Amino acid sequence: MKHLVYIFLFITSFVFAQSGFEKGNVLYQKGQYEQAVQAYESVLDNHQQSAELYFNLGNCYYKLNKVAPAIYNYEKALVLHPEDVDIANNLKFAQKLTIDEVKEVPKVGFAKLLRDFTGMCHYNTWAWISVVFGLLFLVFFIGYYFSPTTVSKRIFFFGMFVWILCLLVSVGAAIFEKNHFVNERPAIVFEEAAEVKNEPQKASPATFVVHEGTKVFVEETLGKWKKIQLTDGTEGWIESQAIREVK
Amino acid sequence: MKKYILLLLISFQGLLAQVQFEAKVSRNTLGLNERLRVDFIMNVDGDNFVQPNFEGFRVIAGPSQQISQSWINGRSSFEKVYSYFLLPLQKGNLVIRQAVIEFNGQLYKTAPVRVTVTNPVQQQADPNDPNAPQISADNNIYLVADISKTNPYINEPITVVYKLYFSYNIGITNWRELNKPKYNDFWSQNIDIKQLVAEEGMFKGQRYRFVTLRKTVLYPQKSGKLNIEPLSLDIDVQLPTNRRDMFGRVMVTEGNKRVSAGTKTINVKALPEAGKPEGFTGAVGNFDFKVTPTKTNLKNGESLDLVVSVSGKGNLKLFDLPKPVAPNSLEMYDAVHKENVDTGLSGMMGKISDSYTIVPQYKGKYPIKPMQFSYFDLSSGTYKTISSNEIMINVLDGPTATNAVASNTGGNKNKIEKSEQFKFIKLKTELLPSQKEDFFGSLWYYLVLILPFLMVPIVIVFKKRKEALAGDVTGNRIRMNNRLAKKYLSEAKKQINNKEPFYVALEKAMHNFLKAKLHIETSEMSKDNIQELLLSRNANPEVVTDFIALTENCELARYAPASSTSIQNDFDKAVVIISELEKQI
Repeated sequence: MKHLVYIFLFITSFVFAQSGFEKGNVLYQKGQYEQAVQAYESVLDNHQQSAELYFNLGNCYYKLNKVAPAIYNYEKALVLHPEDVDIANNLKFAQKLTIDEVKEVPKVGFAKLLRDFTGMCHYNTWAWISVVFGLLFLVFFIGYYFSPTTVSKRIFFFGMFVWILCLLVSVGAAIFEKNHFVNERPAIVFEEAAEVKNEPQKASPATFVVHEGTKVFVEETLGKWKKIQLTDGTEGWIESQAIREVK
Repeated sequence: MKKYILLLLISFQGLLAQVQFEAKVSRNTLGLNERLRVDFIMNVDGDNFVQPNFEGFRVIAGPSQQISQSWINGRSSFEKVYSYFLLPLQKGNLVIRQAVIEFNGQLYKTAPVRVTVTNPVQQQADPNDPNAPQISADNNIYLVADISKTNPYINEPITVVYKLYFSYNIGITNWRELNKPKYNDFWSQNIDIKQLVAEEGMFKGQRYRFVTLRKTVLYPQKSGKLNIEPLSLDIDVQLPTNRRDMFGRVMVTEGNKRVSAGTKTINVKALPEAGKPEGFTGAVGNFDFKVTPTKTNLKNGESLDLVVSVSGKGNLKLFDLPKPVAPNSLEMYDAVHKENVDTGLSGMMGKISDSYTIVPQYKGKYPIKPMQFSYFDLSSGTYKTISSNEIMINVLDGPTATNAVASNTGGNKNKIEKSEQFKFIKLKTELLPSQKEDFFGSLWYYLVLILPFLMVPIVIVFKKRKEALAGDVTGNRIRMNNRLAKKYLSEAKKQINNKEPFYVALEKAMHNFLKAKLHIETSEMSKDNIQELLLSRNANPEVVTDFIALTENCELARYAPASSTSIQNDFDKAVVIISELEKQI
């Protein structure tokens, strides 16, 4: 009986969350963006998320001309669906509202090739891929072990090693992706204008100023300060409250 | 001997001192209000007299030339004098430089003369002199600087008005400025006075006439004690004397008088630090702040002007306007500064503005952040901040990179161009819990990953076991017999307790077995035929005989009494025979 109650609660909460999303969509269509934001946020409060939800939230904030939350939500959506064209498109629109123009220094060389390859999938997907390769290995082993003819034995034997190699590559890619995911900590500047200093001290002189909506990467944290790097490579310390991390 | 030499020297001296040219001053020390006479005296008739530049003096008379020649006891003496009357213009050590004459093709110069000018000295008037004026100019003429406020804030306007008071019984014919007032650390602006008008006013309890000479608006730029350097005037006055002319009118004497307003000190207060807003650029007064774009909706290629203006009263020329902050993708050009300020006695009034030309580059919405303008309000003594609204610039269509090629096809069709658009929300979603456990790195993942490798030894063990079973001969036979018995003798086994149906079933089973193995029909089933067929297939003759015996026994046993043990015997025998035959055929 108790289980039934739990299941019921779970289902209703899920239905409620789904209805929050749909309610937000209706409000958005009517142009009531503030209320739509509230509806979408209620879904988030329910510990539910999806790329589409963040995307719609970002759209609401964009319509309300709130730069930083719009970009923040688009970035969150991109974390879940990195390949989505619509999200990238609207993010571009939101970035036009920002004041800072930071050039992106293109990465080149082997590291970039490696990252392009591993970046194809999320590390959990890589994990599943490695499991599939493991199973294929088993199938080929059985085929090798039981096949009567030498030709098929040879093919199976060769295949076995191919799958082992694939498995190692996919596990490596998963580890690489996970490391990248953990180490890359994008954040969005929420304060209208925040000073970036060359030392984590209030009295330290400001090297430059970043404005609302600028994307930065957090490298280190020290007390109330965070060391950030811009996409063009400049670094500095900023107060933690001025930015919000995407992940 | 020595005497002669001395005489000789003295007589030569006379010869040498033939041309004398020197400058003589009436006195070497004089007051600022006193006059000096300078004579340049020569004992020859020199030409081309060049007067020195009387720096620090004003020449009030001269040059006057005087020549005298006299004969005394047969000796002639000649003297030529150029005279000047000078008035010092400033205190201190002044130098009268060299004058030059030419005589017989040679230049002669005087030595420079030093003169010390001291403070003005009181001139004693001779009371018996009928030409002496009745009154002194000193007590009847005053220059006064009126300062509107002596302890202003920085950038608070103050005015300095210079007024010349003079009593009714003196006249003024002319005045000259000697020292222009200097306003160091002030921003100053003179207010032009077109015509001097004599007015009447009270001064020191008496009625005086006065003329406003100069009005200046000052904005102090520094806190602390600031000095205003004085204005000095040299005034030609007409003073009445005791003499009368033939019509009984008072005769006047021309006089000269210098007046100075004296140094004024102004104590400038700094603006309070408490509550000073960020971005305060020093505006003091009472202002209104506006930011107005010429348009907010525009097409590609159009530009707009953003006018940041401050109007009101205060130090309009003395502060910077706040700069608008716009996204970098908006091209913003440098501002055009415009001032429309009138400076009156109460300070500057009007409007200043910066006009920025903005050219958008791409389609989209661009915010221009609210701007703050802070000023210090003098009436309340506090800082005030005016904030403008955020301005949203909407660029309706931007450059699309793809439509550069001009294609001229008909033109009637409504071409739908692919352009960048802001995408609508997504309508479908699949919500997932936020805190999803990572599959990669979990225990479950490692288990699933290792499982295939764990399976490898299991597979090997499995196959080994299978081979071992295949090698076990007796066990295999038993299993085979059981299987055959099951296949053919199941019916017989069911009837093992009833004699007659058992034997019927057994016989049938035997026949079925033969049918299956030898592929023969029931009609062909004779004992000889069977024997022949079985033997031809390399069956053991003994087993064949047993088989035939058993079939015969089945027929017999159906009608003969038989115990249950013999039935069991026959069943076992059948099993053995069938399995033997199975193996052999």
